[in-house]
Amino acid sequence: MTRGRQDATDKTGERFADLEARLRESEETLDAIRRNEIDALVVSGVADGPRVFTLEGADRTYRILVEQMQEGAVTLGQDGRVLYCNQFIASLLGDAPERVVGQKLQRYVLAEDAGRFARLLGEAGQTGARGELTLRSRDGRDVPVYLSLSLLHDDETAVLCGVLTDLTEQKLHLRELTEANARLTAEMAERGRVEDALRQAHKMEAVGQLTGGLAHDFNNLLTGIFGNLELLQARIAQGRIGEVDRYVTAARGAATRAAALTHRLLAFSRHQTLAPVPTNANRLVTGLEELIQRTVGPAIAVKTVLTGDLWPTLCDPNQLESALLNLSINARDAMPDGGSLTIGTANVRLDERAAGERDMAPGHYVTVCVSDTGTGMPPDVAARAFDPFFTTKPIDKGTGLGLSMIYGFARQSGGQVRIHSHMGSGTTVRLYLPRHAAEEASDSVHEVADGPFQAEAGQVVLVVDDDTAVLTLVSEVLGDLGYGTIEAGDGPSGLEIVDSDARIDLLITDVGLPGGMNGREVANAVRARRPGLKVLFITGYGENAAIGTGRPERGTDVLTKPFSVSALAAKVQAMLGDHLLPGMTIDGQAQQRGRCGPACPDP
Amino acid sequence: MNDAGKTPPASCCRLRLFVAGSTLRSQRAIENLQRVCEAQAGQTIDLEVIDVYQRPELAVRYQVVAAPTLVKLSPAPVRRIIGDLSATDRVLHGLGLMPLAPGLP
Repeated sequence: MTRGRQDATDKTGERFADLEARLRESEETLDAIRRNEIDALVVSGVADGPRVFTLEGADRTYRILVEQMQEGAVTLGQDGRVLYCNQFIASLLGDAPERVVGQKLQRYVLAEDAGRFARLLGEAGQTGARGELTLRSRDGRDVPVYLSLSLLHDDETAVLCGVLTDLTEQKLHLRELTEANARLTAEMAERGRVEDALRQAHKMEAVGQLTGGLAHDFNNLLTGIFGNLELLQARIAQGRIGEVDRYVTAARGAATRAAALTHRLLAFSRHQTLAPVPTNANRLVTGLEELIQRTVGPAIAVKTVLTGDLWPTLCDPNQLESALLNLSINARDAMPDGGSLTIGTANVRLDERAAGERDMAPGHYVTVCVSDTGTGMPPDVAARAFDPFFTTKPIDKGTGLGLSMIYGFARQSGGQVRIHSHMGSGTTVRLYLPRHAAEEASDSVHEVADGPFQAEAGQVVLVVDDDTAVLTLVSEVLGDLGYGTIEAGDGPSGLEIVDSDARIDLLITDVGLPGGMNGREVANAVRARRPGLKVLFITGYGENAAIGTGRPERGTDVLTKPFSVSALAAKVQAMLGDHLLPGMTIDGQAQQRGRCGPACPDP
Repeated sequence: MNDAGKTPPASCCRLRLFVAGSTLRSQRAIENLQRVCEAQAGQTIDLEVIDVYQRPELAVRYQVVAAPTLVKLSPAPVRRIIGDLSATDRVLHGLGLMPLAPGLP
């Protein structure tokens, strides 16, 4: 047998086997149909695609599913007539299925939802539709439902197929949730109110203690001032002029202490006007060591650990001193049985991450830290330590203002303050103050020039203040120094003078003024008229908000009441002393000596 | 049931079981087939169960006229076995895994 014939024979064999198999398949299929061993027949070759014919009983599962599911199933004619509904819908409507089928579903739709249902029916015929409705059952219950309808093409007709969800429970839950939410909101508001009231009560208690203590201190100081003034008067009357100096010195001393007291008071409200100067913290700590040792008592050893080559920092040295004293007193109170108090200084560099952790700008800082070996504090106390009026001390011991004041000072100086404390092992408070590029101020800067000083001929100062005593005092001082002065009792009067061609070299204005303009507004208006005119604000508060920032802007300065005559003189001298200012006229015609009130602005 | 475009490994046995919904017979067919498949250790079986109600066009493509029907697409030749697959011998023979004893249909 040749190879070709062999191949042909093989192929015939294969084809025969295939035909045999296919014949067997066909016979098996026929047998299966005959013996009812199949569920469905697939018929192809018809015009609109293959169809599946279900044999009896094969869709029973679906019937059961649809009949017994806990959702409503319904088929509707396009006019809303019910063609089929499952048991769930029947019981929801409170009717037997056979009574529902044949009815229009509209019959069960609540009157006010009739329009909505009509719309759903209309949309369902196009694209399918879904929406909420309220149905009314035969026994008069209102049932909120969610109905979704879609178009089902049957052989001859088109019917709408609907699934209906009972929303009764959901709505109930929602209502309960809403009510619970309202209750919770009310409770929170009430709690907030009570907390506010409590906080206010605490605050008032603290303010009470504070004002009580202050009144006491002030009375002492005022007694000193009054007494010395009376003695002064008596000595002058007696002609014993040679003895008056000591009474003047004593009265000034008491007044200076009173001024320091009000300054400290302003610090805790964080409205102080800082006088930042380049400061050497090492020198400041050294100078304070003895006072601290005396304050904390002999049971506590005071040590200083000072870094050599400490950078200068820019801050108000008086405030830094009071911060250190305050921290030392806190440390003393934390060590009732004695211990050691260490004051240290260091240079630190904070990178982005370290600065971010401390809520500061990255850069160079000088740190001054005060550590004690006392009782320490738990984290919740440490976390609130800087809150105003927060204190753990007994009612008559602390006002809760000390650390708050230090915090205000540190932040306002561009630094930060941090507490590290562990129960039983003590507390460290670290002040971060920004490094200052230049050297610290020499002591002479602090000193006010007391020597005789005469103003440049013809220089005129406009003084705006509503307090006659201050107005008179400032004018007197300036007059003594050789300046001409013009007085105004409020902003508008001051502006009238500025609008005239009177010579003005400097504006001194109070910040809090009556007449609708504060000092800041007066200064702005004046500088709009006479650009570059220098302005000295005087203020009884550290009114940073009125002045703009913690540091006065260019060409302006701030003097805080109460101020000494020499401090006023030094400020005016510093502002007017060295050069001519833009807007200044030197024609000699407008020269004034003596004073002029608001009523006669133009001499 | 993503039948088209799949290229399983050559040794893979590709099976498509066509059923008509979740009837008792469908369940039996699936269980019987599962048992047969589990007995074929080492054989990779790619099985899809197709509901003819949902995909009648696939039934037409694979020349299935009734459900349940098991179609063996590969290895060739294509074979169809109708019924609930309770006759294990016939199933194995149809899948080409065991010759049918002489005398049986």
